[in-house]
Amino acid sequence: MKYLTYILRNARRNPVRTGLTVASIAISMFLMMILTSFFAAMQEANSASKQYNRIIVMNANGFAGQVPIARVRQVEAMDGVVAATPFSWYGGKYQNQRVLFAQFAVDADKVFDTLDEYKLAPEQLAAFKAEKSAAVIGPKLAREYNLKIGDPMPLQGDIYPVDLKLNIRGIYESPRNTDQRMVLFHYDYLDDQLRQLGSTAGGSSSQTAAGNAGIVFVKCKDAATTANLCKKIDDEYRSTDFPTRTQTEEAFGQMFSEMMGGLKDIVYWIGCAVVVSLLFVSGNAMAMAMRERTTEVAVLKAIGFNRGLVLGIVLAEAVLVAGLGGVLGTLGSKALFDIVDISPFTGGFLPFFYVPWSVALAGLGVSLFLGFASGLVPAVLAANSSVINGLRKVV
Amino acid sequence: MAASSIELRGVEKEYRRDEFVVPVLSDLDLTVAEGEYLALMGPSGSGKTTLLNLVAGLDVATRGQVIVHGQDLGRLSESEITRWRANNVGFIFQTYNLIPVLTASENVELPLLLTNLSRKRRRENVATALRVVGLEGREHHYPRQLSGGQEQRVAIARAIVTDPYLLVADEPTGDLDRHTADEILELLEQLNREFQKTIVMVTHDPLAARRAGRVLHLDKGRLIDDVINESPISAAS
Repeated sequence: MKYLTYILRNARRNPVRTGLTVASIAISMFLMMILTSFFAAMQEANSASKQYNRIIVMNANGFAGQVPIARVRQVEAMDGVVAATPFSWYGGKYQNQRVLFAQFAVDADKVFDTLDEYKLAPEQLAAFKAEKSAAVIGPKLAREYNLKIGDPMPLQGDIYPVDLKLNIRGIYESPRNTDQRMVLFHYDYLDDQLRQLGSTAGGSSSQTAAGNAGIVFVKCKDAATTANLCKKIDDEYRSTDFPTRTQTEEAFGQMFSEMMGGLKDIVYWIGCAVVVSLLFVSGNAMAMAMRERTTEVAVLKAIGFNRGLVLGIVLAEAVLVAGLGGVLGTLGSKALFDIVDISPFTGGFLPFFYVPWSVALAGLGVSLFLGFASGLVPAVLAANSSVINGLRKVV
Repeated sequence: MAASSIELRGVEKEYRRDEFVVPVLSDLDLTVAEGEYLALMGPSGSGKTTLLNLVAGLDVATRGQVIVHGQDLGRLSESEITRWRANNVGFIFQTYNLIPVLTASENVELPLLLTNLSRKRRRENVATALRVVGLEGREHHYPRQLSGGQEQRVAIARAIVTDPYLLVADEPTGDLDRHTADEILELLEQLNREFQKTIVMVTHDPLAARRAGRVLHLDKGRLIDDVINESPISAAS
């Protein structure tokens, strides 16, 4: 602490150079946080989903395949199942804009038993269940479009050739790392519309869409039953026209991550490249700073500062500068994304985005390491520099 | 006769420049008494700064012994000699060599950071040192806010703040005008007279040398003249 004044003043000695070094580290770390948090937040949400003991049934051929709606009741009747609901992607337009938020047709009676971390006030739940055209929406969506209970919410079909005239009957609450911009409405409402259209059109393609649950969310009694249920469900439907692929919610989330292929690796390597380039930037800044202070270092050593102390002072300065950049970049990005919701700007692609503490702290650690590594060579050179040579210009 | 403060026995110093060996000091014997004020004179390259560096423990002799205050400097490890310098030697440089980002008092405090003194005690010592050099009221000024003479006074305060018994000064007035140089020389003389500091000063200035009690002339690494100033010019006179 005795040397803190000297270290701080040295760091501020050339404000432009220090400022640019701090800025380059801060901006790079900020971008790194965005890239790595995308995967980390997803991973964190996946891991968190484990506690809810849910499994997801989908067609073995993927999202394009069907899961007949009758399967929902069949699965729900199985031992170890608490509740099940269809989750059918509607993908309609709102206010003539496409896919701004997720819209799912669900079983109103079961959805909040299945997704039990999503909470709806009892009177709102009752109103939702009671009316076929009722919908509940997420709090972020309500804020974004200034929607409230009682407002109509018309959706225009984009995938399906039917429009929905929904009425908002509730606004749910859910944890931060869940989608708070969803619209949930009655599966029966969508299915009825599709069936009506099919009968009037004399058997069009919309007929095939009717009766399709999309995917099925299943709430299990406990964690021990999930693996057995996955196997049991898939075995049950293996030899049918619609074989299933059932997996835990965590594995389902993981599947989405895997869909991105090697993107995670690419991000990782980009991150490494950024760290290496930052090492050069901050290393060069420290080397320049120390070159300018050759005589000063010699004076310090002459009056009794030993090698270790000189080494420590230079390293501390480098760590301070890089650490400041790191704090601005990592904690700044965390604070920013905690305050600003970017989901509206991602077209529904990212229902939530935040910088997890684990990522922010890792980023801060990387910044401090950068400071240490970039300061090491100048510090060792300063510590081992000759007092006589350093003073030669003036002595 | 006063006890010996500095003793050089058969000291030689050579520098290696690539494959060449450059002799700088040859067969030098010297005794300096405690509290003596010594001026080293000679042309450039005569070895006076090298001699100063040896006495101050900044450099080691190639051959011979350098004994300062009973301590054979050649026997000390690098860390030991660094600690020895911190405790025993005060440095005054031609271009002051203050740390530009530190205030006058912070510059003076630097050597005290190496001690176990409390912050309060360090501040007291700094205030005393600045008072001795006549810089009360300038504690919070940065070097750029001081004149050359004032900067050198801060450097002298830094040199004396740990109360070393040896002060080494390398052309302390080389960058100053005559009037300011005289003030600095008076200050050095005062430190020698009132605080019994042993001072070894390198100078090219004959007027500065006449302030010292003894003047050594070096040429080509050899001691060619050793003059005792019977009546050195002093502020007192």
